[in-house]
Amino acid sequence: MLAGKNALITGAARGIGAAMTEGFAREGANVWAFARTPNADWERSLEALAVKYGVWVRPVYAELTDPAQRKRAFAQVMADRQPLHILVNNAGAMGEDRMFQMTSEEDMRRIFDVNFFAMVEVSRLATRLMARNRAGAVVNVASIAGLDGDSRLDYSASKAAVIAATKKMARELVSVGIRVNALAPGLTDTDLVRDLSDKVKQAQLDRILLHRMARPEEIANVAAFLASDLASYVTGQVWRVDGGML
Amino acid sequence: MTNLEKYVNAFSQALEIPAEEAPHMVYGKSERWDSVGHMTLIAALEDAFDIMVDMDDIIDLSSFEKGKEILRKYDVDI
Repeated sequence: MLAGKNALITGAARGIGAAMTEGFAREGANVWAFARTPNADWERSLEALAVKYGVWVRPVYAELTDPAQRKRAFAQVMADRQPLHILVNNAGAMGEDRMFQMTSEEDMRRIFDVNFFAMVEVSRLATRLMARNRAGAVVNVASIAGLDGDSRLDYSASKAAVIAATKKMARELVSVGIRVNALAPGLTDTDLVRDLSDKVKQAQLDRILLHRMARPEEIANVAAFLASDLASYVTGQVWRVDGGML
Repeated sequence: MTNLEKYVNAFSQALEIPAEEAPHMVYGKSERWDSVGHMTLIAALEDAFDIMVDMDDIIDLSSFEKGKEILRKYDVDI
């Protein structure tokens, strides 16, 4: 599905991002795997993926909220002299579970820095690279919380902002051949969700027709579709991947 | 190709205008140089001169002449 494509995936070391890195490689894509912290074990796992699927998978380290680190990371991508076809904005943070009245401005700014501002800046850099070829696909990982507002204030609001940015980007970038879509995963079996209380998890599970959490690879599969040419007529959309929360 | 030729080419190709119109271009004064044209132009300049333009400079790049001044910061003399 992605043979010959080069993809940049942020937040690639864990959870959904790790599943996307493997899923995209399995589908034939080369991957720049962005992560925050250097990790030798992870690098070895990327090398194994590359051998297994006959692609290249390169680690790139950056704290994406830091402009200097972001720029260095993209300089590394540009130095590879390979076209960029796909960007997956997956890196995100959830924050503490607090009531509306108890969520500080500082908390909100911290979550927005990761989930929204860094995503926008990464998108600006990546789409300038894609614009050189007048083609590309961006997949922003939002959340059902950004649609339903049923999670923490800072997290829900930041993911709603991701959805709004997705639509704005889709409108502007269509003229240079770039499609932009958002994924809205529901309850997914990752470290972020394991921190939720049992009560919150059960309340969500009660609403899911499939009566279980998503596996990270099930989210990655939809991301791969949206990034692929099979989705050539899909842009500006938000795809719920929530197991049927009706 | 000289730097000036590369610079004019970047404007011409990114904004889809004849090369002779490039020196008169001002952001927002031509329908070709809108926000998408601006992104395409920055991409073309980065490609032509193998540089990475900072966000402040992207915002400042408002005319053909201003662009020359900005590129000097990246050791590109036009």
